[in-house]
Amino acid sequence: MSHVEPRPSERTLARRARPVAARIHAESRDRTIEWRYEGLVTRAIGFAIDAAVINVVAIAVAGVVALGLSVLSVPDSLDPVLIALGSGFFLVWSVGYFVTFWSTTGQTPGSRLMRIKVCQADGRILGPRRAAFRVVSLTLAAIPLLAGFLPILFDERRRGVHDMLAGTVVVEAPELDRRAPTA
Amino acid sequence: MDVQRVLGAAMRPAAGAVSAGLRLERAGRGAATRRLSETALSALDAALVSPFAEEAVDRALASAVVERIVDRLLAEGIVEHVVSRILDGPEFERVGGAVLESPAVERLVAQMIESRLADQAVVHLLESEDLWRLIEEIAESPAVTDAVTQQSYGFADQVAGGMRARSRNADAWLERRARKTLRRSPR
Repeated sequence: MSHVEPRPSERTLARRARPVAARIHAESRDRTIEWRYEGLVTRAIGFAIDAAVINVVAIAVAGVVALGLSVLSVPDSLDPVLIALGSGFFLVWSVGYFVTFWSTTGQTPGSRLMRIKVCQADGRILGPRRAAFRVVSLTLAAIPLLAGFLPILFDERRRGVHDMLAGTVVVEAPELDRRAPTA
Repeated sequence: MDVQRVLGAAMRPAAGAVSAGLRLERAGRGAATRRLSETALSALDAALVSPFAEEAVDRALASAVVERIVDRLLAEGIVEHVVSRILDGPEFERVGGAVLESPAVERLVAQMIESRLADQAVVHLLESEDLWRLIEEIAESPAVTDAVTQQSYGFADQVAGGMRARSRNADAWLERRARKTLRRSPR
């Protein structure tokens, strides 16, 4: 007597196929992404340009505020408070600068000039939290005499300590199309 | 066959007579036409040299006939048609090209450029406000501003491109040195 096995339902087939499909697509996606990871010098130049932008804007704003305060004859005893406030604003401005650019386009002005981009390992743009965490990690990497950046020279994906902590990579960005839009 | 031969022999004198008549008619018509043409030309010459011809032309020009002819030509668009035919035709291009290519025109243009008239014209042009308004309009036009922007971008891109190339070379050199120092295999 022959035993005929019942045909599995569509739902069962789909459930069995899902992990296989996921594995196939994940593998093919990994194979198709071929990043060009950026090195220490390029990134340092980009960062220096950003630092220049941040400082120029901060100095300009501080100058305007100082001129305004000079007219208002603020007592000298308030100087420490003003310095603390200024430092706070500078910190917020610096962190906000990086977090905003990294979490929107992945490129700060310095990065854009050097045609590099910060993204997650799979190519996605950073979220604001991850971007903020990368700023903190960047500071931590700089504290031990910039030793946190040395892994960029040796790592296969040219990642520094802050990249490893935040799960990010710095890659070459595609060229922008600056042709005038046609009407 | 014999009948045809007999008939042909019988018709030959008649055919000869007909062809002789036709030749005579042609010769007479040609002579008459020549004589008539010569007579007409002689009459025209006589009319042109006669003192009455000038008087006739003066009277014709003084009358309203010429004005009416001109009005009619203009009203019916004949003049426009003639002008457009001349302008569209290959003759105009050929004649215009020949004129422009001629050394006489070249000399004339050179004389005009070297003359004081041209200098004065340039001075007047530079003093006119309309010229500067025109230049302002052109300079502010989107096409010109786009071109200037593109050129600026091009220059900035060139500088940035040079910097990028150098920085990437420096990256490669630095990594080679670092790996060599730590005795690691090159990337």
